[in-house]
Amino acid sequence: MRTIFHLDLDAFFVSVERILDPSLRGKPVIVGGDPKFGRGVVAACSYEARAYGLHSAMPIRTAYRLCPHGIYIHGSHGEYSRFSRAVKNILLQYAPLVQQASIDEFYMDFTGCRNVYGSLFTFASYLQREIWKKLSLPCSIGIGSNKTIAKIGSDCLKPNGITYILPGMEKEFLAPMPVESIPGVGKVTLKDLHSKGIYKIGDIAELPQDYFAAAYGKYGIDLYRKACGKGGEYLTFIHEQKSISHERTFADVTSKKFLKEKLFKLTGKVCQELRDKNWFTSSVNIKLRYSDFKTLTRSRKIKPTDDDKIIFDAAWNMLMKACTRRVAVRLIGIGLSKFSKFSEQEELFEWEEIKRRKMLRAVTIIRDKYGYESVVFGTAETDKKLQIMVNPFRVNS
Amino acid sequence: MPKYYIGTAGWSYKDWVPNFYPKNQSTKFDWLQFYSRYFNCVEVNSTYYAYLSPKIVEGWIRKVSDNVDFIFHVKLHQDFTHKRKYDEQNVKAVRYNLDLLAKAERLGGLLIQFPYSFPYDNSATQFIQDLKDIFPNYKNFVEVRHSSWQNKKAFDFFKQANLTFCTIDQPQIEQAISFEPIIINDKAYIRFHGRNIEAWKNSINNFSKKQSYEERSERYKYLYSPGELIEIEQKIKSIQKKVKEVHIITNNHPQGDAVANAFELIHLLEEKDKVEVPNTIVKAYPRLQEISVN
Repeated sequence: MRTIFHLDLDAFFVSVERILDPSLRGKPVIVGGDPKFGRGVVAACSYEARAYGLHSAMPIRTAYRLCPHGIYIHGSHGEYSRFSRAVKNILLQYAPLVQQASIDEFYMDFTGCRNVYGSLFTFASYLQREIWKKLSLPCSIGIGSNKTIAKIGSDCLKPNGITYILPGMEKEFLAPMPVESIPGVGKVTLKDLHSKGIYKIGDIAELPQDYFAAAYGKYGIDLYRKACGKGGEYLTFIHEQKSISHERTFADVTSKKFLKEKLFKLTGKVCQELRDKNWFTSSVNIKLRYSDFKTLTRSRKIKPTDDDKIIFDAAWNMLMKACTRRVAVRLIGIGLSKFSKFSEQEELFEWEEIKRRKMLRAVTIIRDKYGYESVVFGTAETDKKLQIMVNPFRVNS
Repeated sequence: MPKYYIGTAGWSYKDWVPNFYPKNQSTKFDWLQFYSRYFNCVEVNSTYYAYLSPKIVEGWIRKVSDNVDFIFHVKLHQDFTHKRKYDEQNVKAVRYNLDLLAKAERLGGLLIQFPYSFPYDNSATQFIQDLKDIFPNYKNFVEVRHSSWQNKKAFDFFKQANLTFCTIDQPQIEQAISFEPIIINDKAYIRFHGRNIEAWKNSINNFSKKQSYEERSERYKYLYSPGELIEIEQKIKSIQKKVKEVHIITNNHPQGDAVANAFELIHLLEEKDKVEVPNTIVKAYPRLQEISVN
């Protein structure tokens, strides 16, 4: 039996903004797009703003209609990362293992620590106070026997809550909760579950697992397991990463346009990961495998960056130079290495680059909150519809 | 917890009125006396530009008499560190003032600051060793700014010479040394120059030109954000068990940013919930309200 903590910083972006400007305390504060231009979504909003019906991921225009007196802030992402790192540093002083799930969420494995820390509930409240005392950030903690139950727990008494789900009581704890409390149940699944007469988590657990397997496949089995209070018991994380890479294998391809699109997508993924870590890369590597399994790799040094465009251009260039045989391609891959830490050195860049960097940072924030698919880039070749499309409905789905 | 000495680089800046020093002061009002009510140390920068008359130094000692803890860190004259040409006379002039402060138990140490254009090599270490031999009786804090010093051989030299290796936070341009505390002996000396990259680059280009005070200080114009201060705090706390004294100097002086940040660092590092700060600074930097006693 494991003991997992899930710590979620309450209205994190807003809490940080309130440290920067204490006059925002007690007021409805919304961090996100600019309501004047009507673009973007709510990245975070204060509990005062939630009283007006606002919630994360809501289009900023709708938010403005509901709460025109709110204080709308664009947000200072560099500062959020700093505070997020600071929280992690504090947690690392106590937890044997810490996994950062997003900018404002952490899993900790305290299995076997009861002898060290005594009552887990008291210890959780100590952690909460410590983070408040040192950083003035409120948080909620869920304690459970696996990651899923801990996450649901941290969400159920916000803000400043602590929920300890006793081992063995998971199913009973979950039963009366609405199905959307399960992480991963979004609008589409919710609608579908409702159409089947399933409203509470207990409704899921009462049915046989086979039913969900038949209805939703693998996802259904996973859903059923979660409803029964089961979930991942081990934290996942990477030790000192030296490279970030992604590759794709296809049925043999000869179309350059197709390769370009695929490389573009792969670049998008590695760059997002890069920015999530607040790293810059100064080395781009590509991998190319022909249908006869002959494999080439190329690498190029570039000026430290985290910009998709620069990295993509370098990679595409290399790929085109490397791809000289008239043989179909079976796999392409892109890798980044030689990392340096991101620092706010905007002045080093040209104005146009600053604009792009701001845009990329905004994209990173939205993806961190709502998943990679919430914002996608397009190349000239891809479908016009895909050109930087913000898709709020992918949230939680 | 080690003993923290937190202060600013210099105290005599006209643009600290009214953000720190109050406006409409009486003729009796003295800046250093006011300053020493709130801080326990200051770095003297005028000694870098001139060989001061001992009368001035005696005046300082009198002015800080209300604060028993107060110490001065004296910056070595540029003849030694930048022009690197000095004679017996220069040495005597520096020593005299240092001894005056030491006798009054007001001397922190001697700050020997070299420019970016002083990279690590054998002649450089020999030069420092010679200075150490000239000023053997003081706590010596050596600041170098080129990243070539961030190597084990250089640290070994500092260890053998028992010289404190200053930790500095400066704009990260080219081969600038990064903010990484290196512990050599039981003291840490940490200086904050701000992170104003653009102005820092300009100042390199205008190095030899004659400039006004505002132009010269532009590169230090920078207010550290709460998140940056938290990162700094965590980094310093990670080394605090290894040392007995931590000296922290904020040099981002224009308009009093250095004063505001110094108060915030006192709050964070000395773990004081509330700090004694003058109303002037709270007015200029509203976020200090949170840590102010009043």
